[in-house]
Amino acid sequence: MLITQLKSKETIEALAQGKTVIINCHGCKEVYFAEHEADELQKDLNGVTQIITTDYICNPDNLKLQLKKHTDVINAADTILVFSCGVGVQTVAALFEGKKVYSCCDTYPLPGFQGVTPLNVDCGQCGECYLNGTGGICPITACSKSLLNGQCGGAKEGMCEVDKEMECGWERIYRKLEKLNKLDNMKYEAPKVRNYHNPNAEEPTI
Amino acid sequence: MRITELFQRGEFVLTAEVGPPKGVELDHLIKDAHEYLKTRVHALNVTDNQSSVMRTGSLATCKVLKDEGLLPIFQITCRDRNRIALQSDVLSAALLGIENLLLLTGDYTTLGDHPQAKPVFDLDSVSLIHAVKRLEEGFDIAGNAVDGAPPKFAKGAVVSPCSDSVDVQLAKMEAKVKAGCEYFQTQGVYEPEKFIKFMEQAKQFGVPVQLGLIIPKNVGMCRYMNANVAGVHVPDDMIKELQADKEKTKAGDTGVEICARLIKECKDYAQGVHIMSLGWENRIPEILDMAGIAPITPVV
Amino acid sequence: MEDYTKFKLKRKEELDAVLADKNDLFVVACNKCFKELDSFDEPECGLFEEIAKEQGKNIVGSARIDFLCNEPLTSKSFEGLLPEGTKNVFVISCGLGIQTIAGLVEMPVYAASDTVIVDGHHGMALTTTLCDACGQCYLNLTGGICPVVDCSKSLLNGQCGGAKNGKCEVDKEMDCGWQLIYNRLEKQGRLQEMLNQPVELRDYSKVNHKFVSEYVKSVREERYEGYYGGIHPTEFKELSEHSSLVRFPEPLNVVIPMSQHAGAPAEPIVEVGQQVKMGQKIAQAVGPISSALHASVSGTIVAVEPRLHPISGLEALAIVIQSDGKNTLDDSVKPAGDLDKLSADEIIEIVREKGVVGMGGAGFPTAVKLKSPKPIELVLLNGCECEPILTADHRVLLEYADEVVYGLKAMMKASGAPKGVIAIEDNKLDAVELLQAKTADIENIEIVVAKTKYPQGAEKMLIKRVMGKSVPSGGLPMDVGAIVCNVSTAKAVSDAIQLGMPLIERVMTVSGNRMNKPGNYLVKIGTSVKEIVNHCGDVKGDDVTIKIGGPMMGFAQANLNVPMLKCSNGIIAVETTVKEAVECIKCGRCADVCPMELRPLYFTKYALSEDWEGMKTQNTMDCIECGSCEYICSSKIPIVERIKIGKTAIREGK
Ligand code: SF4
Ligand code: SF4
Ligand code: SF4
Ligand code: SF4
Ligand code: SF4
Ligand code: SF4
Repeated sequence: MLITQLKSKETIEALAQGKTVIINCHGCKEVYFAEHEADELQKDLNGVTQIITTDYICNPDNLKLQLKKHTDVINAADTILVFSCGVGVQTVAALFEGKKVYSCCDTYPLPGFQGVTPLNVDCGQCGECYLNGTGGICPITACSKSLLNGQCGGAKEGMCEVDKEMECGWERIYRKLEKLNKLDNMKYEAPKVRNYHNPNAEEPTI
Repeated sequence: MRITELFQRGEFVLTAEVGPPKGVELDHLIKDAHEYLKTRVHALNVTDNQSSVMRTGSLATCKVLKDEGLLPIFQITCRDRNRIALQSDVLSAALLGIENLLLLTGDYTTLGDHPQAKPVFDLDSVSLIHAVKRLEEGFDIAGNAVDGAPPKFAKGAVVSPCSDSVDVQLAKMEAKVKAGCEYFQTQGVYEPEKFIKFMEQAKQFGVPVQLGLIIPKNVGMCRYMNANVAGVHVPDDMIKELQADKEKTKAGDTGVEICARLIKECKDYAQGVHIMSLGWENRIPEILDMAGIAPITPVV
Repeated sequence: MEDYTKFKLKRKEELDAVLADKNDLFVVACNKCFKELDSFDEPECGLFEEIAKEQGKNIVGSARIDFLCNEPLTSKSFEGLLPEGTKNVFVISCGLGIQTIAGLVEMPVYAASDTVIVDGHHGMALTTTLCDACGQCYLNLTGGICPVVDCSKSLLNGQCGGAKNGKCEVDKEMDCGWQLIYNRLEKQGRLQEMLNQPVELRDYSKVNHKFVSEYVKSVREERYEGYYGGIHPTEFKELSEHSSLVRFPEPLNVVIPMSQHAGAPAEPIVEVGQQVKMGQKIAQAVGPISSALHASVSGTIVAVEPRLHPISGLEALAIVIQSDGKNTLDDSVKPAGDLDKLSADEIIEIVREKGVVGMGGAGFPTAVKLKSPKPIELVLLNGCECEPILTADHRVLLEYADEVVYGLKAMMKASGAPKGVIAIEDNKLDAVELLQAKTADIENIEIVVAKTKYPQGAEKMLIKRVMGKSVPSGGLPMDVGAIVCNVSTAKAVSDAIQLGMPLIERVMTVSGNRMNKPGNYLVKIGTSVKEIVNHCGDVKGDDVTIKIGGPMMGFAQANLNVPMLKCSNGIIAVETTVKEAVECIKCGRCADVCPMELRPLYFTKYALSEDWEGMKTQNTMDCIECGSCEYICSSKIPIVERIKIGKTAIREGK
C-alpha cells in the first residue's frame, strides 16, 4: 500500500510549463490523497487548460476510457501533471509517450506493502518467512535494522535507537516468546542470513 | 598477537578505545597513544565510523597503529557494508597482520552525519561472527573455499550488563558465543552490583569479559547518556558525587576517581577492563594507577 | 494480466521441520488478493493438510478467510473458531495475514508459507507497472519511467554500462531501465535536460517510519470512527450549503403518485373534475403500512391515471391537480393544540392522518415507527446528510431549528422515549452550534456531532455511532430501542401538530457541478422535476446525469417528466460516469468499506452464476445498498445492481 504526499508548491509550479492538463487520481483516496491541498494548489497554477479528476488511472484501460472525452485538450497540451502514486504517473506517461508527464506527488510505502487495508503490521516480502521463530512478529519490519539474530543492543528502555517511539522489535519478540513459553526458539542453532537472491527458488545456503 | 592469548595466559586484559579523526592527520592520535596508552593497555580498539559519523577508516588506522608498535583491535560494524565487503575487509585485515576483531551490528545511519545514507545491515553481529569463523575454517559465508592458509583472529563482541532487559542481552550473548565469539567488552558500567550479578549468569558461557568504562566527565554527559545511550545508566548518587565538588569534577578528577573505584569493585569478577575515554586518553594512566593496576610490557 | 499472489507454501522439508514437534493443529488460509477472482478456494490449504497428515499430525480444524489481513473483519470471523484442544495454529498467507492471526490468538502461530517478493508496489490493476515508494519521485527527470524499479540497481544517474543489446545484466529478459529512459527522453527532445541534471543522491531517510506509522494510525482511526468501513466522497456541499431557502414558484400542475412511501400504495378518494383545497386529503392509506396523501395546491383534479414514477421507472397511479393559483386552505388545516395536552396516541394519529413519512429516502410511515411494539429508549434525529451535494437537511436545521426540536419532542412523547438525540456531521458546525443553543436547557435532548463519513446517515450506522449498538441481522432499530427519523420529518411532524398542515411540501436541494444555478428550495410535492431543473438554469454540458436524491443512492432520471415526492431530498446534475466493468481483482477495497461488514466481491460472482445459496451465506439481505462498495470498486463492477438481483431472487424464494 502506498501513501502519496504532494511535492512542494515551488516544485509543482516549476513543472507547469505551457498548456497544462492536470489529472487527479482519487482511486486510493480512502487510504491517502491530499485532496483539498491538491485542489488549493491547482487553483494557483498558470496555464491549466483542464483539470480531470478520476480514479484508478493505474488501470490503462480505465485511464483511456476516462480520458476519451478530453482527447482534444490533452493533444493540445504541452504538459500533463499527474497527482497520483508512482504507478499512476507511469501509466499516464506510458500512454502519452511523446508528452511531458510529470509527477506531483512523492510516494511512500504504507505498512502492509500491498495488503488490502492500512495495517499496523508490515511484511518486508523477504521470501523466507521467519515468523516461526519469532512468535509471529516480523523481524524484518519490526526491527529498524531488519536484524535476524537478535537485538542490536541499541534499544533504551525497550525503545528503538532509531525511533524512540517505536518498541525494539527484538524485545517484543523476546517478550512474546517468553509469554508463549517458547524462549527455546531464541536458542542459537545457526546464524540466520538473508538470501537476497531469489529466495523463492532455492534453499538458503549459509 | 591475538588478545585471546592474553586471556588464556590469565592476564587481566586492558584495552582502550581510540577514534580516527574526520581527515587523515593521525599525528595527534599516535602521539597520545604512545604517551598514555602504550605501557598501560594491551590493545587499542579502533572505532568504525563511530556513531554513524563518517571518518577515516578503522582498518587503515589499525595498520598505522600496528606500524607504530601498538596492538590494534579492528572494530567492524554491519551498517555500511554488505557481506561481500565485510568478508573482504576481514581478509584484508589478516593480510595486514591485524588479528583482533570486535564485531558489531552498528548504530543506525540516521543517528550520524549522513542521515540520508542507505542503511545496509546485510549481516548482523551474530552472522558476522559466524562469517569470520567460517573464514577461519577456510570458507566464505557462501561456502566457497578460501585459497591458502586460513586466517586466525581473536573474535570479540559487546554486551550490556546494565541494560534494562538483561534477559534479552543474555540470550543474544549466548548466540554470539555459539557463533564463535571469544571475548566480550561491555558497554559502560556504573553499577557494580548489576555487573556482578550479570557476570554470575554470564560465567556459564566460559568466555572472558572485559569491564567497560566510560569516564564520566560531567553531570550533563551523564544525564545525556541516561536519556539516550543504550545499556548505560549512571545512578543518582554518582550524579550527586559529580555535582558535589564542581571544581574537582571540572578538572576531571571526580570521573577518574569513579572509574578507579569501579575497577576495584568489579575487578574480581572481570577478566579485564576496556576504557572508553572519549578524548581523555591522558587520564587513563591515572585511573589505572589509582585502581592499583601496574604498567604493562607492550605485547606486540 | 499479472497475478500478485503474495505467498506460496514453504518447501516440504522446511514444513516437515517446523511440524516435527507440534500437534493438534488448526489451519487458517487466506483466500489471496490481487489476482483475478476465479475461485474462492485456494489449493494451498489442502496441500498443507496433506503434508501434515503424512506426518501423522492431528488437524483439529481449518478455515479459509478472505483478506486475512483485514484485522477488524478477521477478528470477527475468527471468534470462537478454534476448537478446544487446539495447540498450534498454522497460517497460510502472506506475512501480513500471519501476523494478524499471531496478534489475535494467544497460542503459538506458525507460518506455513513464504511471502513472494514483488520488487515494488503495484497499483489497483493487475499490470506490471510498479513503484518502490521511494518518497522522492524521480519520474520528472526520467520521462515517467521509474529508475528505482525499472533499473535493477536503482541507479539515478544513468545506466551502469552492464547492459547488452539493451538488456539488463541482472536479468536478460528485462530491458535496461536507463535505455528505456533515454529512448523516451529522446522522443520528447529532452536529452539535453537529462545531461544538465545535477547528480542525484537518494535520500534513504525520506521514507520516514515515524511519519508513515502516524499516518497509518490516523487513517485507521478515521476508517473505523463510529463504525467499520465507509467512504469519503468529495462533498461538493459548498455549491449550495450557504444558499438560504427559497420558495419555488407555484406549479401549474402537480402529479401526486399513490406510492410515495414504503408499504401499500394509497387509494384515491377524489374524482376527475372535483375541486380540492390545499391540504385536503385526496387519497387514503390502505392497510397498516401505508400513508395518506393530500393536495399540495388548491384546484381541479384533472386526471387519476398512471404516470411515470421517478423511483420505479414505471407507470404508476397518480392524481393530477391543476392549480387555481390561490392555495385556498382546506378546513382540516388547523392547529391541534398544546403538545402537553396531547396524548401519545393522539400525536400518532395526527402524524398518520397528515401523511408524514420518512423524508430521508425510504419513506417509511412515521406513525408506524412511533407506535413501536417494543420499548423505545431513544429517538434519534438524523441530521447527518452524509450524501454528497445535498444540503436540504442542513438548511432545515438552520432555518427551522425550533420546528425540528418541537418535532423531536413530539416524537419522544409519542413513542415514550425518555431521550432524544440530534446527530449532525461535523461538516455542518453552524447547525451544530445553533441546535446546541436551542437545546441547551432541554435536559433529555442531546446534540451528537459525528465525524463526516458516508453512510453515516444510514440508520444502522447511526445507531452504532450514537448508541454503540448493532441492529441484529434482519432486525429493525426498535430491536435496540431506537427510532431513527430524518430532521425534515421532525419538521413535518411539527407542522402537522402546530399548523395542522399535512406533508405537502418539502425542502430540497437542486445542485451538482453541472447545475447552472444551485440552491435550496421549498417545493410542493408533485412539482415536475423538469420544471425545477429549468427554473434552476438548466444543466451544463451534454455528459450530464440527473438524479433524484444524492449521487450515492439517488435514482438517475432519463425522462424529467416526473414529479418530486415526499422523500425526494434533492435533484442533482453531475457528470455522467463512464465505466466498463472488468473482472474482480480481489483488491479487497469493497470489503474494506462496506459498513455492514459484508464481503461484496462474492455478490459480483454469485449474481452472475445465480448462486442464491451463496448469496444467503454471505448475508446479502443485510446489505443497505449504500453503494460504498460500488463507489470504490477498482474493477468498476456495478455491485449494487448485482446485489439487487440477488435480493430479488432470495425474496422470491429462490
Ligand atoms: S494510480 Fe495509484 S493512487 Fe491511483 S488508484 Fe492506482 S494505485 Fe491508487
Ligand atoms: S519474516 Fe517478515 S518480511 Fe519475511 S515473509 Fe515473514 S512477515 Fe514477511
Ligand atoms: S495481503 Fe492480506 S489478503 Fe493478501 S494474501 Fe496477504 S493476508 Fe491475504
Ligand atoms: S521514482 Fe519510482 S519508486 Fe520513486 S516514487 Fe516515483 S515511481 Fe515510485
Ligand atoms: S451496498 Fe451493500 S454490500 Fe455494498 S457497501 Fe453498501 S451495504 Fe455493503
Ligand atoms: S472492490 Fe471490486 S475488484 Fe476489488 S475486491 Fe471488491 S469487487 Fe473485486
